Amino acid sequence: MREILSRLRAAGGGLRSAISRDESNGDQLATDGGTTVTTAGDDTLRKSLPVEWELVESAPFWLPPVLLAGFFVYGAIAWNFLLSLTDYNGLGGATYANFDFSMYARMLNDGAFWHAAQNTVVLLVVFTVLCLALGLLVAILIDQNIRFENSFRTIYLLPMSLSFVVTATMWAWVYNARSGVFNQLIRLFNLEGLLVGLLRPAGVNAEVIQWLSWNTTALAAVIFALIWQFSGYAMVVFLAGLRAIPQAHYEAARVDGATTVRMYMRVIIPQLRASAVSASVVLMVFALKAFDFIYALRGSQPGANMDILATMMYRVAFDSLQWAYGSAIAIVLFVLALLVIGPYLYSEYRRGEL
Amino acid sequence: MAQLTLDNVTKTFQDDDGEIVAVDNVSVDIEDGEFLCVVGPSGCGKSTTLRMIAGLEDITSGEIRLAGQIINDQPPARRNVAMVFQSYALYPHMTVRENMAFGLEESTDMPDSEIDERVEEATKMLGIFDLIDRKPGELSGGQQQRVALGRAIVRDPEVFLMDEPLANLDAKLKAEMRTELQHLQEDLDVTTVYVTHDQTEAMTMSDRIAILNDGILQQCATPLECYHKPNNLFVAGFIGEPSMNFFPTTREGATLRADRFEYELGDETVAAVSETTNVTLGIRPEDIELADSTAAPNTFEAVVDVVEPRGNENTAHLQFDADADEQFTMTVDGMTNLTAGQRISVAFPEEAIHLFDTESGEAIRNRTLDDIETVESVV
Amino acid sequence: MSTGTRDYVEELRDMDNSRIGLYAVLLFGIVFYLFPVETAVMTMFKTQGEFARTLPFAPPSGDGFTLSALATAWNTLRPGLLNSLLMAIPATIMSALLGSLTAYGLTTISWRGQVGVVVLIIAGIFIPYQAVLVPLAQFWYQILPGLLNGFVNTVFGFVTGGNWTYPSRNGYVQLMQLSITHAAYGIPICTLLFRSYYQAISDEMIEAARLDGASAFSIYRNIILPLSLPMFAVTLIYQFTQVYNDLLFALVLVNEPAAQVATQRLAALTGGVVQSFNTTMAGAIVAAFPTLLVYIVFGEQFAKGVAGEN
Repeated sequence: MREILSRLRAAGGGLRSAISRDESNGDQLATDGGTTVTTAGDDTLRKSLPVEWELVESAPFWLPPVLLAGFFVYGAIAWNFLLSLTDYNGLGGATYANFDFSMYARMLNDGAFWHAAQNTVVLLVVFTVLCLALGLLVAILIDQNIRFENSFRTIYLLPMSLSFVVTATMWAWVYNARSGVFNQLIRLFNLEGLLVGLLRPAGVNAEVIQWLSWNTTALAAVIFALIWQFSGYAMVVFLAGLRAIPQAHYEAARVDGATTVRMYMRVIIPQLRASAVSASVVLMVFALKAFDFIYALRGSQPGANMDILATMMYRVAFDSLQWAYGSAIAIVLFVLALLVIGPYLYSEYRRGEL
Repeated sequence: MAQLTLDNVTKTFQDDDGEIVAVDNVSVDIEDGEFLCVVGPSGCGKSTTLRMIAGLEDITSGEIRLAGQIINDQPPARRNVAMVFQSYALYPHMTVRENMAFGLEESTDMPDSEIDERVEEATKMLGIFDLIDRKPGELSGGQQQRVALGRAIVRDPEVFLMDEPLANLDAKLKAEMRTELQHLQEDLDVTTVYVTHDQTEAMTMSDRIAILNDGILQQCATPLECYHKPNNLFVAGFIGEPSMNFFPTTREGATLRADRFEYELGDETVAAVSETTNVTLGIRPEDIELADSTAAPNTFEAVVDVVEPRGNENTAHLQFDADADEQFTMTVDGMTNLTAGQRISVAFPEEAIHLFDTESGEAIRNRTLDDIETVESVV
Repeated sequence: MSTGTRDYVEELRDMDNSRIGLYAVLLFGIVFYLFPVETAVMTMFKTQGEFARTLPFAPPSGDGFTLSALATAWNTLRPGLLNSLLMAIPATIMSALLGSLTAYGLTTISWRGQVGVVVLIIAGIFIPYQAVLVPLAQFWYQILPGLLNGFVNTVFGFVTGGNWTYPSRNGYVQLMQLSITHAAYGIPICTLLFRSYYQAISDEMIEAARLDGASAFSIYRNIILPLSLPMFAVTLIYQFTQVYNDLLFALVLVNEPAAQVATQRLAALTGGVVQSFNTTMAGAIVAAFPTLLVYIVFGEQFAKGVAGEN
């Protein structure tokens, strides 16, 4: 190689000359959205408006739905915040007076709140990470030019089409201590004694694993079921990302000498970063609102092991009629969601992806 | 560097409708350090052939040998070939440096310091050292192409494989890169197989050209041989721009009867033609000469339809009659003026015509090369 | 790696081992993703004694087979199914339509500053619904009735005699409230889905129509709307699934037992003290039936909706 390069040097490194004359080619012009095609006639009206004509003519299309959604979303959140500042509880209407942060103070002193918050964070992190991992693995497997690919994909995505009430009902049966699938299989392979000993919380005497009751297993059981339901989503996202990588990259890596594993680790997976980011945003936001599943499993009082902020909020507001307190918890949930989606939306906006 | 041999290589695909033969019994011997261009129209099997050498497609039958060893079953990673893809296939998340180092990291035990050295030297040679820490997305098309080249050079392979690497560049840059690539290949002295559909690239850059059509090798020879002594109608029509003019004729004795004219053959030519009756007469646009009149044998009258001025030369599209459907092209010097509608006399010199068997397409007789002038050097 | 041919030399050589391993893992994936559903289907046909005795995923044996669980579940859930459909279908259609109109006004017609509105809409997809529950309950049960009572009794007092009250406890009214709520909250995601679709439509085609003198409405009706049909399919399928599957809003807005939707009824069935799993499994399958059917027939569209949310 050295001789080659020194020969090149001797020959004058001619390629350098090409650069100065190289105009950028193959660059794509960023298209901005603004078109200024004018409609025939109507000039005087158009020009006399203080705002762009397109804004006016498009308004009938977007303004009513935006106002509707805006009221239901942002109006409601603002109202929610207002309510959290009152003392509203019980039956009857709210009194919009005496605004203070007493509800928030109460929240910070409430052990149940902190416990639910901890569970929420654990759920959020573990669920998102494992869902991404499983989804990525499945997507890579499906991308291997297999036959019946569509059928596999359809089956793997099926849990997503089910309501959480339906899946909670099914998983309640799966986790049933006496006759559920897991415990029956464990019994079949004579592993029951071993696993009970391993998983049993201190001070509990039992002969069967009570997946949903034990503090050692409850949250994990919920997370596992949710991963089951949602990994299909991560799979779909990663599959789209994989398909966007040109075939030539796989080939170039092979010709360059990479083994399959190295090829995926160094070339393919790093290019899936964007897919991973957007998938995790959706997964995290979902984890924040995983109310339906837990409610269907255990009702509005699922016990401290499974209580998350979403279930606590519902219980406090609709069971105990502590409306203002519930609103405060809801605001916390909202802020958490904002922390997740805010940076993401901002970076998408800056990159022009919106 | 090694000798690369394709021995009766065939590639078939299974389609919904049956079997498709993409490459049909192609045999080529490529010498060490040779620059071979594989050309042909779209779908002729040239890319497939290249990919078989790389190991990206498997070989249905036949052998590929590199330095005497059969490499049919070796995975791409072990063949020690480097490939430049048409789309460059640069890894977008890696810098130029990392892109170029990747192959060395994956296929050798070279220490990092040595890899770094190699990469930096290569970038300096290619003139992209300033860009070494940039990502492909920040580079222009020409710069990306050079990184792709650098990635291949740095690996010091047995063979360079290039799949239409200049296809995405604009015309001016393409012309410049052609020359540079040629220099590069000569200096590096690496066996190179270069696929393109552009016959100008093939003509200007290669030691030899292999022409494929429908998977079948038509001719494998030096550029000038392909140009002046084409094996068949396809090669004759494919090589050369503007392309050779073809006139289907029927031979009666020593006369070729075409639709609009008759051509008298000399004794030697008649002997070469022997028994064939359906003969296609071919003549290149630059070999057609302007005549003062139609008095001499094998001169004809023609009407100028359209003139394409190119500055250095003019290409005239001629018809034998104003209402004729068929046209043929003639190239004249740029300072010779022709106008549309003009009636002129043209001559088809016998030493310049090519004769082909119309049915088989095979060449019967190609032009003589007696009139090549060799220029004496000034001492 | 998604071309039709798979001609890697090593793959041919190792095809037997690694490909077999691949398919084995994929088949295990099928087992993994289907086993809860499969055990549910098996269990719902078993008698009480049977499902306590046998492995959950095994089919019921001769005398362990019964349809009574299914019958019970069906009776309990059927009104819920009807209520769900009654509520979900109009909400879905409304969302899709409004989403299309909104996306048109924010994408195909471009004006300065529209990205800001788009960001606000898209952010609306991600809000946790807990953050609007209390205001929603307030709105539908306190504020709106208050306003309407006042309005109707004042303006139409000569008819009502000042006695009209907003029928908050009427089941159909509650379902309608739920429908409108879902329609409103569905607008952001439907807008997003249509927006990506409209962004791909050629600008030049629209500009040509402009030069021909077409108004914004005419372009929508004659060009955009017909072209949107594939996206309507995706949006309708996806949004219907989301609305039908919802529990939270239903819990808050529907308290008349007769008006409860399928998800609510199933939650009540499951939360019941008696642990008769065959009934609850039957209930789960019955409740899931409409969305399962939609998914099996329109799986492709659903997958596109899922990917589009990205």
